Amino acid sequence: MERLLATWIEPLSLERSDGSTLRDTARLLDALSELCPFVEVVRLGLFVLPLRGPSRFFGGDDAVVRIVRHSVLDTVGAVAKIGVAEGLFCAELAAHAEVVVAPGATDVFRRAQPLDVLNHRELAATCRRLGLFTVGSFADLEPARVAERFSGRARTLHRVARGELFELEGQRDPTLGRRLSRLRGVDDLFEEPRSFFGQRGAGDDRADAAARRVRRRLGADGVVVARLCGGRGPEDRATLVPWGSPPGGAPGGAPWPGQLGAPSPMITLAHPVPLVLRDGENRPVVVGSRGSLSGAPATVIFSAPLRREVLWYAGPWPLVERWWSRHRRRAHVQLVLADGEALLVVAEAERWWLAGIYD
Amino acid sequence: MFAFSSPRPPLPEELAARIRPVSLAKSRTLPLGEPWNTLVPGGTIRRGSSVVVEAAPGWGGFSLALTLVSGASALGHWAAVVGVDDPGVVAMAELGVDLRRVLFVPRPRGAWAESAADLLDGVDLLILRPPARAAHGAARRLVDRVRDGGSVLVLLSEPRTPWPLPADLTLRVVRAQWSTSSRLDARYLTVRVDGRGAASNGGEHVVVVPNHQGRAAVR
Repeated sequence: MERLLATWIEPLSLERSDGSTLRDTARLLDALSELCPFVEVVRLGLFVLPLRGPSRFFGGDDAVVRIVRHSVLDTVGAVAKIGVAEGLFCAELAAHAEVVVAPGATDVFRRAQPLDVLNHRELAATCRRLGLFTVGSFADLEPARVAERFSGRARTLHRVARGELFELEGQRDPTLGRRLSRLRGVDDLFEEPRSFFGQRGAGDDRADAAARRVRRRLGADGVVVARLCGGRGPEDRATLVPWGSPPGGAPGGAPWPGQLGAPSPMITLAHPVPLVLRDGENRPVVVGSRGSLSGAPATVIFSAPLRREVLWYAGPWPLVERWWSRHRRRAHVQLVLADGEALLVVAEAERWWLAGIYD
Repeated sequence: MFAFSSPRPPLPEELAARIRPVSLAKSRTLPLGEPWNTLVPGGTIRRGSSVVVEAAPGWGGFSLALTLVSGASALGHWAAVVGVDDPGVVAMAELGVDLRRVLFVPRPRGAWAESAADLLDGVDLLILRPPARAAHGAARRLVDRVRDGGSVLVLLSEPRTPWPLPADLTLRVVRAQWSTSSRLDARYLTVRVDGRGAASNGGEHVVVVPNHQGRAAVR
């Protein structure tokens, strides 16, 4: 089976109603096509390319990973999760886990996964009762036993678990290709809903049904759920994904260096608002190379007429991302304004943005 | 895709007519989060109630609403947040809300009341930020729906644009003050409690959000 490099870009998995997600997806597809003409967007947020050719051309798997990472960062300004394994199913799992599975090791990798990755809660629950917790242990069941005990869908999943099929039903968004061509001026249909909750309880079905009702009313991105992932600033750690998205990586409880502690802002802006910060002599405040401020912030100006007095500030807390170039150097500053509102602002590329509000 | 439904077999008609949901007096209430479990009489809120949290912009209204629901959320009750544009989910987790059981409808656009009503049968706690001037009729219909159902509705409003109906419990932030060190530490909110029945004239309390354990507490 072909080795695939899968790239998971969380921000692109959440479709925004202004169409920017689809546009960014198209742009990134173009950029990645320059590396590898066979790159494919499987569904929003998930890009896949066959690795063999590019790996030879660029001099190894790691080189391709690095180049793709840079390309994603430069094109859409997002940090990608990248992984390599054989077949789409395992490649996506590798991306979420951010691992490169060595040639021939995909079998072991797949077999070690928890059963939840098959996205079938009843199957997982039944297997658990049988004492089967991994994809491998499920794969080892006799096909005949699976056939008599489980539904047709589970038989398909059994083949995925055994490595006979390489794709999970629902992994691919069949409408996306059409929507992208339509965006580029070419046609369309409505997306079929998905539903997934990791753990089921009595109330979960009711919530499921309620979410379905709202989505019918407001559209695919009308209902979102939270996913915590380990980024640097609160605006990076907090992701809202459309309800029904397939499960991503595990929630990040890992303490990142440079992470701002509690309290985090109650409002984190998905689209940061630009602002101007000036000191007492009306000079713009900038973050120096040593990570200090050029002056104490005295006023914050949102748009020309909206000017507010800063009573107190703290920071800056620099956020130097490992592989990011200098212009991605960022710093956080907390501000308290005259009317008691507190803001989290971020300096990036010598400009200031409103990142959060402590409501 | 990932959707699969296992429809329950319908109950025989003669049986359906004779049963009703188990509803003991106690289960008709939801526990309030800290510190409201000690400040509001009984420490619980009856299902079907509406609660108004009124605060000036940036004065901790959303935090305060979350402190109300965090106790029930931690026990596994489902919650929904409607009309809050960019909810800070990290902060919600810090306040003790279980994000695995929260549905967000950030931008219901014109359909805020309809979206909220859609969710009522599915969640136990519904935090709603209605549009600045909520139509009286739509508000009335929603509150009636809440009263008949099993959820608690928490409304976020501002003093300039108050919720047009009386509530079972009202929390007003009358003063908000940050406590700071080399960073923002916590906020002291002076909250005036009012409501129907035992909660009427519930007095003023200073609560700190969050306290050192990431919850809210009485100062």
